[in-house]
Amino acid sequence: MTEDNFFDVIVVGAGCAGPAAAKKTAELGLKTLLIEKSPEPGTKTISGTCINLAGMHNEDLYYILKGPIEREIHSMRTYHINDARTTVFNEIPTKGVLLLSIRRDIFDAWHTEQAKLAGAEVKLSTTVTDIIEENDYVCGVITDSGEEFRCKVLIDAAGVNSIVGRNAGLIPKRSGDNMILYVTVAVELGEEVINDRFSDEQGGYCIEYYLAPGIQYKTWPWIFPKKDTVTLGTGGYMTKDLFNDKITNVNQYMQNFLNLPIVKRKLEGGKIVSWGLHLEYDEKISQKVKNGLILTGEAGGFVIPFLGEGMSPAFATGIFAAKTAAEAIQKNNFSKESMSSMYEDMIEEDLFLQGFMHVGKINKESILKKSEEEISNMMQSVVLGGGFITNAVHTKWLEGAENGDIEKVQEALDFLEFIQPYRQIGSEFEEIYRKLRAEGGS
Amino acid sequence: MEFEMKIDYYSGDPGEFIKVIEEKCTGCGQCAKFCTRDVWEADGKIYRPINLKDCVECGACWNICTADAIIFGDPKGGTGVRFTHG
Repeated sequence: MTEDNFFDVIVVGAGCAGPAAAKKTAELGLKTLLIEKSPEPGTKTISGTCINLAGMHNEDLYYILKGPIEREIHSMRTYHINDARTTVFNEIPTKGVLLLSIRRDIFDAWHTEQAKLAGAEVKLSTTVTDIIEENDYVCGVITDSGEEFRCKVLIDAAGVNSIVGRNAGLIPKRSGDNMILYVTVAVELGEEVINDRFSDEQGGYCIEYYLAPGIQYKTWPWIFPKKDTVTLGTGGYMTKDLFNDKITNVNQYMQNFLNLPIVKRKLEGGKIVSWGLHLEYDEKISQKVKNGLILTGEAGGFVIPFLGEGMSPAFATGIFAAKTAAEAIQKNNFSKESMSSMYEDMIEEDLFLQGFMHVGKINKESILKKSEEEISNMMQSVVLGGGFITNAVHTKWLEGAENGDIEKVQEALDFLEFIQPYRQIGSEFEEIYRKLRAEGGS
Repeated sequence: MEFEMKIDYYSGDPGEFIKVIEEKCTGCGQCAKFCTRDVWEADGKIYRPINLKDCVECGACWNICTADAIIFGDPKGGTGVRFTHG
């Protein structure tokens, strides 16, 4: 073991949370190593295709908005299809960008470069095979070449099935209604065709959601426009009902999605250039910190599949973990108790994370109980009735009112009050975003 | 549009990153059922990841296995699936 193999912080995984964490710790003056198994960051991930600007109201995340984006998304279109009719909803906010579509192979490479520029050492093509634990403290990793790297704090940013979190005993096996199996395809259409087919009435670009029989299992199939390609995604919860007599593989949901006449026309002339598959965890992880170790992003369960939300929570928890590590190193205390209280405080103070996790949880609870038709009806009410936040408040409120349970009504009220400052963030963020793009957008 | 699983892999030997623990496998076949890539095949009373070269490292098999009979690691550095346009 040489001096070169000792670091203040080691971060495993160069997806969304990893580079954010490594960049931050390097900026805070800590000797940082970022390890990634792939030769090119962003090529082991297939989703996280749109950054939600609603989750980026944090100055520590502003630099991300200067990254390489594909398209600015201004509006949403949802198609509710059944045998009798197709109902289309267009949601066009009066102003502002809602989402940024990105390509992970391009974006994660840029993000990893930012960590490197900040002073982090980056090792690509390096697979972590195990963690090192001594005296009940996590203190390093072993790689596939048998090399050992030691650190004061290990940050796990290696995704849903991270070997770090699993070997540390924090990430359990998950399936059923806590895990989603999701398939994607990228279809090349060319920039001009996408300009034409995915624009909205105000000249912005539009993401589309679809609900139709046989194209999903309690999830929302989508089409997101990138620059030259569009990405389609669908799948479902890993319960026994994911498959049936007609559907024996998630690819069949995708084939049915591609076969919808309305989708066929959207994709006419295109060709599939890429296919992908991944798992999305849909429940909180109870313990995210251990002596010497912090879990971030999907490894830490910070993903809200119901709302299609994963990247912003990953960026944010990467930054929180970095700040926690820096403070722990300053205090020379890497214990679970000390780091956990710092980390959890930052998570609890984050309006977006708390708000969206709550909204995701309540909306998910309601769809799991509903049939496909009821889900379609519910989604129509969600679109017409003011979105998921309103739906979450209403659901809790009604549940309480119907059962005479005043606590549930109070819970709805408390949440409404909690989320108010978030709802008041207005068009000033659009100005911040424009300024950041002008400074360094690519 | 005809669905197609268009996948790219990095060159190089990924190693035996998924294995079955023979004495623990109950032969329930859930791994094969949830595997989108037909990696798992029955071999007598148990299942084996025969077509590991087709794996895209999603981890569905490991997560669904209630018998704890699957060892699921990562391919050797720089190998395995290469997703583009993610």
